[in-house]
Amino acid sequence: MSNRTLPRLLQSPAVLLLLVWMLVPLSMTLYFSFIRYVLNNLRRPEWTTPALSNWRGFGNYEFVLKSKDFLFAIQNSLLIVCSILFLTVILGVLIAVLINKSFPGQGIVRVLLISPFFVMPAVNAVLWINMILDPVLGLQGIAVAGLNEMVAGLREMPVLGGFFSLWPEFNPISFRATQTSAYAVIIMVTWQWTPFAILIFMTSLQSEDQQQKEAAILDGASTWSQFRFLTLPHLGRPIAIVVMIQAIFHLSLYAEIEIVSRGNGNKNLPYLIGEFANNNIGAASATGIFAVILANIVAIFLLRMIGKTLME
Amino acid sequence: MGRIVLENVTKSFGETQVIPPLDLTIEDGEFAVFVGPSGCGKSTLLRVIAGLEDCTSGKVFIDGEDMTQISPSKRGLAMVFQSYALYPHMTVRKNIAFPMRMAGMPEDEQNKRIEAAAASLNLTDYLDRKPGQLSGGQRQRVAIGRAIVRDPSAFLFDEPLSNLDAALRVGMRLEITEMHERMKTTMIYVTHDQVEAMTMANKIVVLQAGVIEQVGSPLELYHKPRNKFVAGFIGSPKMNLIEGAEAAKHDAHTIGIRPEHIEVSTTEGLWQGSVGVAERLGSDTFIHIHGVDGCDPMTVRASGDVEVRHGDTIYLTPDATQIHKFGADGLRME
Repeated sequence: MSNRTLPRLLQSPAVLLLLVWMLVPLSMTLYFSFIRYVLNNLRRPEWTTPALSNWRGFGNYEFVLKSKDFLFAIQNSLLIVCSILFLTVILGVLIAVLINKSFPGQGIVRVLLISPFFVMPAVNAVLWINMILDPVLGLQGIAVAGLNEMVAGLREMPVLGGFFSLWPEFNPISFRATQTSAYAVIIMVTWQWTPFAILIFMTSLQSEDQQQKEAAILDGASTWSQFRFLTLPHLGRPIAIVVMIQAIFHLSLYAEIEIVSRGNGNKNLPYLIGEFANNNIGAASATGIFAVILANIVAIFLLRMIGKTLME
Repeated sequence: MGRIVLENVTKSFGETQVIPPLDLTIEDGEFAVFVGPSGCGKSTLLRVIAGLEDCTSGKVFIDGEDMTQISPSKRGLAMVFQSYALYPHMTVRKNIAFPMRMAGMPEDEQNKRIEAAAASLNLTDYLDRKPGQLSGGQRQRVAIGRAIVRDPSAFLFDEPLSNLDAALRVGMRLEITEMHERMKTTMIYVTHDQVEAMTMANKIVVLQAGVIEQVGSPLELYHKPRNKFVAGFIGSPKMNLIEGAEAAKHDAHTIGIRPEHIEVSTTEGLWQGSVGVAERLGSDTFIHIHGVDGCDPMTVRASGDVEVRHGDTIYLTPDATQIHKFGADGLRME
């Protein structure tokens, strides 16, 4: 017993600091979520200071649940996170396997592939939405206009012209619209985070045992079988890590959503919290508690899944 | 069946030629051991036979068929690797089943073969474990099991015992030799350990820098080494090679005498020297002797309880019938 006291004593400052670090914000959020607390209200000035006399019970939670954006925000959070995870893992594995072979210019290609990860999220969003996805000024607009021009030119052709005149005019897609802005976010974040997946998978591929592969070749395994039965299981652990880290990061996406559409038709939970926090701190806190619950549900699933792969 | 013929095979990595043109025949059912110092090209040669490396020129025949351009899996050979190369996330059963599964063999046939292989290799209790839960020797047996179930025309072993500890190595050596006696399948075994070569092989292929120095049965190589390299490489401790005046007496550039063919005496003998280190093995004593003209130190095998101490004067008499003579070109003279 006594030989454990000293280590515990020595650990306690760190543990205490962590507890305070986490518990204070969490309990303040909990407290705010049960009272009426707004930043500005001319009719009820007493609500502008947090006090127990403003107790509202579960009123804030009810208000958030009934607000039209809440379910939509949760749906959107999950859609964005899951899509990004799916795309980055698949693209990451494919590209990592592709560039794992040695070829001239390998070093440069690798650096270029990693570079999107070093772009700031806000800059990434501005670049994509204005310079690439914009229906008029972006690459997309230019490409669609060029395509239309080409088709128009083909219509002048003597014989095939008739065929091309059946083609419709192409319309660029507006990625700031209600339905499409979430896709814009998914595209830009996938672009930014695929390098992260590639980086992790590539290091893992380099530690793959070459003799195992040779044994598999002699055992008659095709390239696909080698990938399926050796490389993919070998990548199980890094995939779990990539999924976990990205899930944590992407549940709290904010900058991209703000820049693409200012939350118009495309909100996730953090953005909804931000909107409430413009004035209604109570509702924002209640949403925050919902976000904590959602994050915990995701975390439990993830930890189960990852725990399994790590145990093996 | 498993007669392997190499015709004029060469192998280069870029500019460096690691195997100059080489011919070799391994008969069906033979246990051939490729032995040589590190970097002599013996593993490369094995990989060329397996098809894991393309030969730069020349041809590889297996059972009379030209296999030079055939993919490794279609050559009907099974290989056991030094690092075992087991698939870490599969159980032992799945590891052994893998080649059959790739070949699309029916499930019950697979199971029959797995059970048979596991029984003969003492693996039955471990079939549901993963390789990470097995000891080195067990892993090596799984690797052998994976090779056996394919029913190959020849087994290729690439230094399979070098990751095992000494006691286990002796045990596995016996097991593999026993397996060969039972199955009568061609085996090619690569090692740098001449003891393994001597104890296991019907045919030893001694390689140096990609060149075959000699091919023959263990005792042929022991009694009639074709050149100085083979003489020094085969046999433990190494043969003593003596140059200079002593060799000239036998009309040779170099003479060789094995440590076990020298008589030791404290009173009289042909050569005189002083005792250096004496390595006592119990059954034998290896004495390193300094001061003998033309060969320093000279190693002698004496009986286990011979009374010598460091610095003692000692007399040596070689067995005249066991002296090997080599010319200036290093080749054996009769």
